Amino acid sequence: MEDGLFSITSVQLQVPADVNTILYVVFFMGLIVFQFAFGTRIQVYFALNDIGRGLTKLKIMKDKSRKEAIDYLVNVGKSPNDPTQRVDQFLDYVTIMPVGIDPQGLVNKIDHVVTTNNERVRSEVTALVGQGQNNPVTVSISENLLEVATSLNIIHKVVRHYYLLGKKTNSYFTLIQLQMLMPMIIQESDALLNAVDSFKVGQPVGDGIGPVVVSKLMVGKEKRVIAKDTVIATTEYKGRTLHVLKADGPMAYVGQPGVAIKKVIEEMGVKPSAIIMIDAALKLEGEKTGEIAEGVGAAIGGIGVEKFQIEDVATKNKVPLYAILVKQSILEAITVMRKEIAEASEKVTQVLQRVIEEKTKEGDEVVVAGIGNTLGVAQ
Amino acid sequence: MMSSVPASDKKMKLLVYSIEECPVCGQKTKRAFQVGDYITKDGGKCTKCRNTTRVSLVYAESSKPSG
Repeated sequence: MEDGLFSITSVQLQVPADVNTILYVVFFMGLIVFQFAFGTRIQVYFALNDIGRGLTKLKIMKDKSRKEAIDYLVNVGKSPNDPTQRVDQFLDYVTIMPVGIDPQGLVNKIDHVVTTNNERVRSEVTALVGQGQNNPVTVSISENLLEVATSLNIIHKVVRHYYLLGKKTNSYFTLIQLQMLMPMIIQESDALLNAVDSFKVGQPVGDGIGPVVVSKLMVGKEKRVIAKDTVIATTEYKGRTLHVLKADGPMAYVGQPGVAIKKVIEEMGVKPSAIIMIDAALKLEGEKTGEIAEGVGAAIGGIGVEKFQIEDVATKNKVPLYAILVKQSILEAITVMRKEIAEASEKVTQVLQRVIEEKTKEGDEVVVAGIGNTLGVAQ
Repeated sequence: MMSSVPASDKKMKLLVYSIEECPVCGQKTKRAFQVGDYITKDGGKCTKCRNTTRVSLVYAESSKPSG
């Protein structure tokens, strides 16, 4: 054993040091040291380049949406003065959400702030629009275009903030996280920018599938305003009385379905056997556009105020909530309605009829709400 | 890393159509969308029964990718 070990050591010691081998070892040792010393800095360099390119794209999108809004106000809204300065002020307007450390009554506080903001937006846009004031569609489209421009402005500002912060502090983790999020941020911003084209010409968007289904039930029926930008009609289906509501179209409104449903039950004295809500839902990757899903619960997005109001009134009155959802991507939801989504309206009507037949009986009353942006969808 | 929207989506051109449906005979006519069209708006005369049609759907279809 000792002999063997001795002989191996002897052999190694007897090998003359090859220059190439030494250079090879030194090179790799140097590479490892370099990697330890500068690896992070190199990655930071690439991340900064990558984010910088994304930031340039976001700036182009932000500027384009702002220009589109100004052009619409001038060309279609016939704004009496140059609206550029007012639009720039509008883009930087902030909404301060109420404090959440005492959750008691928080939803009402949020509702109050949001309502104040919505009223402010409406009055500001009405002032910006000139002769177009008399056309509610023009005013609502202007509102939507300015909201898109505001969203893109905020996205650009936030991304730029973290980019500069990461650059200033040389923070590897800040930059890498931002770099990983950039594709999703760009995708959503792209969807917002694409929405401008549909809004400008008043085309229905994917999110309007709920109002599309409900509008068919309202055609030819007497309509009345039940809440801000929200209309209701009464119709019949197989012995059931249907109270059908949606935002007032063809304006680009989402209305106040929460307030409307509350009024139907608490002020009109309707005792519904079911509340059925039809809405667009974001699909998961791999799901097909236009697929229909059924479920229970309040099918409505947004900040949560309307959802709370609907759940609250349904719970107090023990009314079951049913949901019919049409799957689509964020891009499809805010841009012109795709064929697959539009054609799903027939199937949604069939599902709605089946749910009414299965869950209620003759003589019952049912509330049917079409949730979503009702641009290009009258009633 | 930055590629966000698939190249195929970028090239896809959408054509928007309005579908006019006759409320009496159910005849459907597909035509290009015109500014001012909206769902439930009165359309032209039905080619089959001469009743006034109504815009029942507005949707976009993708044309073949260009290039």
